[in-house]
Amino acid sequence: MTIQQPADRTQLHPLAGTRMTGADIVVQVLADENVDTIFGYSGGAILPTYDAVFRYNDANRKADGSSPIPLIVPANEQGAGFMAAGYARASGKVGVVLVTSGPGATNTVTPVRDCMADSVPIVVICGQVPTHAIGTDAFQEAPVSAIMGAVAKHVFLVTDPLKLESTLRSAFELARTGRPGPVVIDIPKDVQNWEGDFLGSGTLPLTGYRARLQAVVDNRLTDEACERLYTMLARSERPLIYAGGGVINANATKAMRHFASDYGIPVATTLMALGASDTTHPLSLHMLGMHGTAFANYAVEDCDLLIAVGARFDDRVAGDPARFAPNAKFVAHFDVDVSEVGKVKGVNWHHIGILKRDLDDLLAYGKRIGFKKTFADWHAEIAQLKSQHRLNYDRASDLIQPYAVIEEINRIAKGQAIISTGVGQHQMWAAQYFDFREPRLWLTSGSMGTMGFGLPAAIGAQFARRDRMVIDIDGDGSMRMNIGELETATTYGLPIKVIVLNNFGDGMVRQWQKLYYKGRMSGSDKSLHRKDFVKTAEADGFEFAKRLDRKEDLKKVIGEFMQFPGPAFLEVIIDPDAGVYPMVGPGLSYDKMITGDHIASREKPVEDTPGPSEMF
Amino acid sequence: MRHVISVLLQNEVGALTRMTGLFSTRGYNIDSLNVAPTDNPAVSRVTLVIEGSDSAIAQLNTQLAKLVDVVNIHDMTLGEHFERELAIVKMKLATGGYARVLKLAADFGAEILDDAQNSCTIQLTGRLAEIDAFLDRAADIGTLSAVARSGSVAVSKGEVTLSSYARVHRLTG
Repeated sequence: MTIQQPADRTQLHPLAGTRMTGADIVVQVLADENVDTIFGYSGGAILPTYDAVFRYNDANRKADGSSPIPLIVPANEQGAGFMAAGYARASGKVGVVLVTSGPGATNTVTPVRDCMADSVPIVVICGQVPTHAIGTDAFQEAPVSAIMGAVAKHVFLVTDPLKLESTLRSAFELARTGRPGPVVIDIPKDVQNWEGDFLGSGTLPLTGYRARLQAVVDNRLTDEACERLYTMLARSERPLIYAGGGVINANATKAMRHFASDYGIPVATTLMALGASDTTHPLSLHMLGMHGTAFANYAVEDCDLLIAVGARFDDRVAGDPARFAPNAKFVAHFDVDVSEVGKVKGVNWHHIGILKRDLDDLLAYGKRIGFKKTFADWHAEIAQLKSQHRLNYDRASDLIQPYAVIEEINRIAKGQAIISTGVGQHQMWAAQYFDFREPRLWLTSGSMGTMGFGLPAAIGAQFARRDRMVIDIDGDGSMRMNIGELETATTYGLPIKVIVLNNFGDGMVRQWQKLYYKGRMSGSDKSLHRKDFVKTAEADGFEFAKRLDRKEDLKKVIGEFMQFPGPAFLEVIIDPDAGVYPMVGPGLSYDKMITGDHIASREKPVEDTPGPSEMF
Repeated sequence: MRHVISVLLQNEVGALTRMTGLFSTRGYNIDSLNVAPTDNPAVSRVTLVIEGSDSAIAQLNTQLAKLVDVVNIHDMTLGEHFERELAIVKMKLATGGYARVLKLAADFGAEILDDAQNSCTIQLTGRLAEIDAFLDRAADIGTLSAVARSGSVAVSKGEVTLSSYARVHRLTG
């Protein structure tokens, strides 16, 4: 296995040697990379490339007359970035953004950082002022390479037009290989207008990167390493897999499920990994962490062997790393990024490699040595935890409970729809109350926690997966952040379902203010705001735009909403005091989890609030 | 502990910014930084001196090794190495100071670059402790009007060159 791109020298690119502009080269490389959608907003410094996209689509129409690389125009470049992110998360392919210099580029900083933090592959192509004008404070100039260098996996400023073609190819390679991430290419306008020969092949040397990646690719799991892991498993009575987003990024879901089910190892997933295990499976514990299920967190407390797979002991999972999985005699860690090993918590065993292959190898080794172990008592405990500490809420309340809304949508969607979210309480309710049967159905801003992610991500996902229902579960605060993209959904006739759980404020902020700031709702109350979400949706062309504010209408209205064939918008007025439980306070260990009034706790509640420094 | 880290860095636009930016991003100050070309025109050699616990610096090095522009990286402090610095010092001299400067230069093996009236410029290459001691004594002789130090440069002892990433960070363990 080699990570070098297959440079098939015997088969020349049909256009090799053709004279092209830099802009044409950009579009040709996108086409060669099988890009089928571009998300972007035009402007002065990117005009040559926008023109090249137009000409490419005009010259290469599909049989039905449609464009091979449609250009999807958002309301704001941040929207384009999150559309590309939603596209990439839902499909596993590289999302592409095309924006102009200055504000066009800086508006994509947030999605670029978001993609970096959640390891999502996108390529952002920015126009830049002409080479001779760089550094003169020219119109719409911004120091993109300096800004993006701090947040992206890598950034290129193409000053030598002869390197444009290889840089573009390398950007895709960097975005999708190793730990995936966002790559930014800043292209001055004169480089786009330059004319030269299209070579049809070639990448940048990337000497250090390729050598390190090759070392990871070559690092097969040895029999000795397998043996050590199986010895741990043999000595364990309560093993637990802690699966992270890396399982999904590595397309290793099947391999992970295989390993878990063949040996009967329960799986708890992080927020990023929802769908890595089928959450309806008896040994799936759904999500662990700050707002994980109580039974998942108790299982983490109880396990004696923790196998972290593509997970990184983030502070939302291991708030108190020293007391995370306190009874685990052994901790094992699979990852693709060596910098994650021991970063937060020391481990007894680790392996850096290609996850799918390594898990297959691990299972094959187990079969070869005839490893057998049953964890019947542990399974019984898991079953008991799941029934005694299941998620629950105030079912008798007259107010609409957000959990009930999700449950009703889930009853119809059956764990098969793509769900995107904003950030806050609604995000956690969606994570907790939806079933996830498959990977890449759950799109959420995990690490960065970017409000406004949900709507553009849903739009991008619908472009990637025309066959799937896409539902954006949003909050009123998050919806406001990128509300301009409502129009984008109707412009392109996307049948996405947008739901706003309106509690008239920033619910998660209020929840923390109640817990840690004596209920002073500084800046988080929006009950006096005048926004009419339904009128907004109507104004943006939603033919289905309704408000649900009576509990007795819940089933009927949600049924209509879900069945509506086109873009549909539903605002639900929810109980403003609904909280997210369970909750492990920031910086605290799982034994200090509070489960609220409706979920059984097995520990006595502990009065322990974190100090101001840990409280984030 | 004080760590001396050597990095081979691809000469790309913004490469140095991305590298030094990582230190502030991860909360570290750089004590000294030297950047210069190598025999390979595509690659520069960077030497950084930084304070931190061994484990924190090891983690920092794995983060540095994720930068696409980084070709190779090694913490020199992990093994035997040579570390040297160059200093050029300009001094204002009182009458009769020049004789003492000659003595100072002879003691340290420093080179006098310029000996204009009442002022002289001296160059010294050596270990950091030598340079510090030299500066202390020079300050006794005259007023230091300029002190230009290169920052540390280092190579490992013996045949070893910048160790490969895999050798420092075990991919399986």
